[in-house]
Amino acid sequence: MRCKSVLMRIDALRTGELPEAEKSVVEEHLSDCTSCDESTHDLAELSSLAKELLVPPARSCASSLKETLHDSFGRFQFEGRTIWVTFNPRGIRAITTGEMSGEEFRRSRPSLSPDESEVPANLREPIERVLRGVDPGDVPLDLAELTDFEKTVLAAIRKIPRGEVRPYRWVAREIGRPKAIRAVGNVMARNPIPLILPCHRVVPNGGGVGNYGWGPAVKRGLLKIEGVAVDELDALARRGIRFIGSKTTRIYCFPTCRDAKRIRPENQVAIRDEGDAETKGFRPCRHCRPASLAS
Amino acid sequence: MLAPENPSELPLAVHRREPGAFERFVECWETPLYNYALRLLGNAFDAQEVVQDALLRAHKALTLQYDEARCRELVVRPWLFRIARNLSLNRRRGVWSRSDVTMTSFDDNRIGPFFAPDDGGRELERKEEARRLERAMAELPTESRELIFLRFMEEMPYGEIARTTGLSETQLRGKVFRSLKLLRRALEPRGVAHAV
Repeated sequence: MRCKSVLMRIDALRTGELPEAEKSVVEEHLSDCTSCDESTHDLAELSSLAKELLVPPARSCASSLKETLHDSFGRFQFEGRTIWVTFNPRGIRAITTGEMSGEEFRRSRPSLSPDESEVPANLREPIERVLRGVDPGDVPLDLAELTDFEKTVLAAIRKIPRGEVRPYRWVAREIGRPKAIRAVGNVMARNPIPLILPCHRVVPNGGGVGNYGWGPAVKRGLLKIEGVAVDELDALARRGIRFIGSKTTRIYCFPTCRDAKRIRPENQVAIRDEGDAETKGFRPCRHCRPASLAS
Repeated sequence: MLAPENPSELPLAVHRREPGAFERFVECWETPLYNYALRLLGNAFDAQEVVQDALLRAHKALTLQYDEARCRELVVRPWLFRIARNLSLNRRRGVWSRSDVTMTSFDDNRIGPFFAPDDGGRELERKEEARRLERAMAELPTESRELIFLRFMEEMPYGEIARTTGLSETQLRGKVFRSLKLLRRALEPRGVAHAV
């Protein structure tokens, strides 16, 4: 065996990982060849010195892990539906729905306190307010486990006013990532705190109401009590109309924009897309931003 | 039931949510994972975050996604290291540098020496050598630094490195060999290696 082939194998020999068949050949070579034999010694020394570079982490993550892994949980009823809330001292971690026992719920999440607790009123009431179509007000949330992208997206959808909806595309553009439409959709699907983080106000790019984690009927119901004319949205989507323009101002909006609602029926112009708006000589609304103003 | 002493039984204990099991698990793996992430990312803050994230993901997988059989069979180290590796690489997305350094073969058929010969094992000198090794490792391409870490600091068998990195064992032998050459070269200009 040549020196190079031997040098490729002495590291495996050092830890006893070399197959028996190769072992004897390599060992034989080492007994004749001083430089290869010394290399074996070099590796042993490297491995011994390298251990001195191992450092303990500046602070152990044991305590913070323990904290993240011991959320409290509880449930309450709202109009015949069970709402489960996972929370900790920092705020709400997750909101889900479903009929199951406390033990079943506990097993469905990574780690919760052994016992179910009562959902504190300061967390329960805002959720109930959203379900009644009212502004939830300030709610403490624990978003620590989300990625930066998820946080950005969820912060953007919180700005969608009650009674209005926006397409995924809009959210992607608002956060400066116009191509990340699918990614926005994924964040919506994974939204840990629905209702409070109003992913029900995000709708398909083509119009209509779209799907929802708790079922499309719940989404329609929520939007309806928030003041969105959902049936009208469907009708517009069927006709391929995405925006409404005003003859008098030459401005176009999303159909649910508060400004669009003020356009008199006789002044309304149906607009299919941004290109259509441009050819008709309309500019995007500054409030609902149906297209970026720069373009 | 108390958490098992044997680390290989920990995944199952975590899966069964035995008290103290996950704490033990964290205790066992925190430092190795931290050192690994540190070598991949080059900064303590990110490394710390990666470790926490990796352990959380491991916990989630063990308690929610894996069944008992899978937890029993799990080879923890490469599995866990792979999680930490993916998280680290995500963090440096795009910056993940590949080694394209050309290499000259050794003319003396020796891999080392990496350090001056041991003259009585003086503590200070060893410390100085360790520092020098740390600096030299920092100069290596990430892949080489990773392999030197896995092989010589973590003492991982080739089979486990293969599962951690997704490279074949044959590839790894060559890569470890080349990483050692690079390491030696990184150590040389400082006059450590004596002429052979």
